[in-house]
Amino acid sequence: MEGASHQRFPTVKIRELKDDYAKFELRDTDASIANALRRVMIAEVPTIAIDLVEIEVNSSVLNDEFIAHRLGLIPLTSERAMSMRFSRDCDACDGDGQCEYCSVEFHLRAKCLNDQTLDVTTRDLMSSDPSVVPVDFADSSSGFDNPENRGIIIVKLRRGQELRLRAIARKGIGKDHAKWSPAATVTFMYEPEIHINDDMLETLAIEDRISLAESSPTKVYDYDPITNRVVVVDPEAYTYDDEVIKKCESLKVPGLIEIHPKEDSFIFTVESTGAIKASQLVLNAIDILKQKLDAVRLSEDTVEADDQFGELGAHMRGG
Amino acid sequence: MNAPDRYERFVVPEGVKKVSYERDTKIINAASFTVEREDHTIGNILRMQLHRDPDVLFAGYKLPHPLQYKIIVRIHTTSQSSPMQAYNQAVNDLDKELDHLKNAFEAELAKHSREY
Ligand SMILES: [Zn+2]
Repeated sequence: MEGASHQRFPTVKIRELKDDYAKFELRDTDASIANALRRVMIAEVPTIAIDLVEIEVNSSVLNDEFIAHRLGLIPLTSERAMSMRFSRDCDACDGDGQCEYCSVEFHLRAKCLNDQTLDVTTRDLMSSDPSVVPVDFADSSSGFDNPENRGIIIVKLRRGQELRLRAIARKGIGKDHAKWSPAATVTFMYEPEIHINDDMLETLAIEDRISLAESSPTKVYDYDPITNRVVVVDPEAYTYDDEVIKKCESLKVPGLIEIHPKEDSFIFTVESTGAIKASQLVLNAIDILKQKLDAVRLSEDTVEADDQFGELGAHMRGG
Repeated sequence: MNAPDRYERFVVPEGVKKVSYERDTKIINAASFTVEREDHTIGNILRMQLHRDPDVLFAGYKLPHPLQYKIIVRIHTTSQSSPMQAYNQAVNDLDKELDHLKNAFEAELAKHSREY
């Protein structure tokens, strides 16, 4: 027996898009979907990060595990991650995590030979796969431009100090370890609906109207000296701080301003670490959420077991 | 040293069923679904989708303990439906909603990249 569908048809409007930043409106759905997307973007969209480090020589001031930890936190370009295998279920290398389907190898060799301090940076990390390399902030459109871009500093060496190591990067998710999270920040807010009762506003003195407009800690309202009205200039600047509501009460005009969050409209901001593009992060999150839903479908034997139980139950009731 | 592997939080162990179903023994058309290695992400969207179904009298989920990596979804329906039917319908509707969302986002993305 097939039940009726109660599906929704959400709409999207992109407001701003850069490689590592996206701002968009999501409408005609509810907070559970918005929150599921946010949670998946942070903790379940896979990326690639260094997971195993073999240190050959380390005479730097930082100890081995300190350096291994730093290497793990370096964002690597991870467009490949969605089609890669997790090493724990890779049968090409028996879960060793050393084959091309589930890992990428890196080498680093650096030695300081003079009196000038040598910066060892992500530029010294040599990858076995040209598509998986440390994120380069210089060529992103984020305006992080720096003519002498030298990558992320890993350690500094003085004369005679040396660092030599081999590292294995693997696919993983933020739920396992935050180093795999592709998201710097993902947030959403309810779109506020702000109503100003103009009749009640008429009862206020001019200076009270000005102080009302100024009572919001963020610039949501403005006082228009021509019409003598308080107007909403930027509803989204409202942080749900209730300050204007309290101000209305103290001016003895409760209800002059009413604010309701629209329960089916959300404004998302997505910032990526650079491992994948912000737009791709959203798309991957939708795919991952679909895969998760698919995994929680009832299996054939569960349905059958219940059918039998149902018949038995009917039989027992009948007898 | 004896810390459990981190992946135990999200990989279903061998021999364990992802979803198990248990009928309520006292109330007709009521049942609990135990979903292994899932959390609020799935639990809450399922619950909210089930609330849209007029044949669902009750739908709720709980995460019994932060160190037990499972959720329990409880559904009670009218005689017009059944917990299993409502559950399947909710999963299907959510899946279709996400398909629609993906297309909507891709269309916006194409529009946006053309403008530059
Ligand atoms: Zn492998």
